[in-house]
Amino acid sequence: MTEIVRTEGLVKRYDGTLAVAGVDLTVDAGEIFGLVGPNGAGKTTTLRILATLLAPSAGTAEIAGMSVTRNPDQVRRVIGFMPDSFGVYDDMKVWEYLDFFARCYGIAPAARRRVITDLLELVDLAPKRHEYVQTLSRGMQQRLCLAHSLVHDPQVLLLDEPASGLDPRARVELRELLRELRAMGKTILISSHILPELEELCTSVAIIDRGQVLAQGRVAEIEKRLRFGAVLRVKLLLEGEALEAARDRLAGDDDVASAVLLDDGTIELGFRGDDEATARLLKETVAAGLPVVSFSRAASDLEELFLQVTAADEPVAAA
Amino acid sequence: MAEITAAPVLPPNPRFGAVLRAIGGIAAIGVKELRGRMRGRRAFIILTIYLLLLGGFALMVEQIMEQQFQNPFAGASATAGPAIGQAIFAAVLLLMTLQVVFLAPSSTAGAISLEREKQTLELLVTTPISSFAIVIGKLLSALVYVFLLIAASVPLMAVVFVFGGVGPEDIVRGYIVLIVTALGLGSFGLLCSSLVKRTTASTAITIFGVLAITIGTVFLLVFWQAMGSFDATGNRRPGPLGIRTPYPLAWINPFLAQADVLCGTESTFGGGWCSVVQGLAPTADNGVIINNGGGGGVAVPAPMPMPVPAVPEKGFAPGVAVAIDDQGNPVANDVAAPDQPFGARQDTLWPKTVAMWLGMSVFFILLSVQAVSPTRRWRFLRRPRRRGKSPESPESPAP
Repeated sequence: MTEIVRTEGLVKRYDGTLAVAGVDLTVDAGEIFGLVGPNGAGKTTTLRILATLLAPSAGTAEIAGMSVTRNPDQVRRVIGFMPDSFGVYDDMKVWEYLDFFARCYGIAPAARRRVITDLLELVDLAPKRHEYVQTLSRGMQQRLCLAHSLVHDPQVLLLDEPASGLDPRARVELRELLRELRAMGKTILISSHILPELEELCTSVAIIDRGQVLAQGRVAEIEKRLRFGAVLRVKLLLEGEALEAARDRLAGDDDVASAVLLDDGTIELGFRGDDEATARLLKETVAAGLPVVSFSRAASDLEELFLQVTAADEPVAAA
Repeated sequence: MAEITAAPVLPPNPRFGAVLRAIGGIAAIGVKELRGRMRGRRAFIILTIYLLLLGGFALMVEQIMEQQFQNPFAGASATAGPAIGQAIFAAVLLLMTLQVVFLAPSSTAGAISLEREKQTLELLVTTPISSFAIVIGKLLSALVYVFLLIAASVPLMAVVFVFGGVGPEDIVRGYIVLIVTALGLGSFGLLCSSLVKRTTASTAITIFGVLAITIGTVFLLVFWQAMGSFDATGNRRPGPLGIRTPYPLAWINPFLAQADVLCGTESTFGGGWCSVVQGLAPTADNGVIINNGGGGGVAVPAPMPMPVPAVPEKGFAPGVAVAIDDQGNPVANDVAAPDQPFGARQDTLWPKTVAMWLGMSVFFILLSVQAVSPTRRWRFLRRPRRRGKSPESPESPAP
């Protein structure tokens, strides 16, 4: 994989506050790369620097090998940017909106007509072609804004909180759209504080908090690297004292850090061991004659991971 | 990985690439703006109403003048036609100046700040369109409507030829001042719009600026001249702050420029408009204001069309005698300045106004471009740098 976005030691200060404090990111071509972090973590600032809207106070940022500070004009031709809160022009029809941006990129008239038709088809707004932009629903405006960022067929898409304010259906549609775009070969950088929406979508993530990257890489890799332990859920066909005795027995295992009996009769184990140790524990449990109904590793999702990594002192907004 | 198809974007570069792209960008902005402004019948209904009002106003002025000339003692009826023509010209020109002075800046005062408020400016500046193209496109598309109003008034203005007393060159001068004023004040509004975040604030500042330019300059000149009157020996004292009257203030006032244009229609020195201009901004310093006794109003007008006078109508150098023939008209003498395009004489005010506003337009536009550009700003436009260091300042690599 060739890398297409790279930042090194990116710093951005606003009058005394440090919004981005040395962010190093590497994004390979064709990835859907998630920037995860609580509000105010520096995601938007990072994306805006990449979108040539802000000059970094220090550090470098390159897209497709071009510096965003030295060659902003060239960079603007390979990126499509969708800000978190974007406006739409009043008094403008859907096709005129796209036509305007296509003109801004200097696309020839014939190509413009074709591109507008294709994009409206892609974002499912073809029937709305002659409607006024301000009459569209929020989700449609979001898709239109996404379409605007695609008129020049950019290699890299920078999407800042694209799903905020969307209803679940619109969110699913957006996700499908982004997958489609990835299949078309686009690299997509997407920021969000809503983790589940990124988890299903992203190939890689960077977890950002207080302007710094806490972890970065493939979702699975980060999980492996950061997991200091797993949670095992064991359900036994036992009740009352027998169950408690079984819990005490499991707690006696070397790899088990803690064993808690939940209300529904499930025993939750804090487990230090690896997969082999997990297999061994299951084998021993069965061999000990305990009636195992289920024995599973609790699915650790991005959200859990995120909480582990950021150890945020403010509650993380999550859907 | 799927091959990324080449973007259907005009290749950057060759020789005229930058110019062509700028023109393309201006056109893109212009098309977008005009689609919004000119959609539907609104723009044309406003134009119609505007012309009806302007025409009605001209008609009323004509009626007033006619009424005056029905009084047998008011003057020879042979001069009635030119007097009416000059009155209509003055009335319509000043009304249009008033309209341009407020309409042009207020139509640009929201050009950039509205985009900021609606959060569309970011979408715009992340396209390869240059800040220059954004600013020029915004300015021109806002001024197109003002220019349309100006152009639509030309046939109405031509009515003055029926009455006489005003030459074509007078009208051309008047329109030059109008157009340049629209450009200058339009770019002033645009600058406010690009520097100030909110449209309401930008509009307020713009209108305040317009008032300062129109009323403020006149007031300051009057003040200075009142304070710096003649002393006992007949020499002019310096005014407040120990400096002489800042006459260049008069150059930026479009109304004074139009008064100067109107002065050009007056046959003799000391006519009403000439006195106004001379009174506020004598074109020769400590020039003698000659009052021909008629004082104010329209001085004996000559039949149309007025030739460009070879004699300077104002700005007499001190001590220079003006030769007067039998009829009391001044005759040519060697202080006459050479004729210039459109009859611009060296001692007139309006060419200075035109030059001043053209220069200031360029300055305002350049400043606006810098203010719109997201990253490459000139230093002095930036906000003051942060004072305290952030506590969690990281060891960042050298910039």
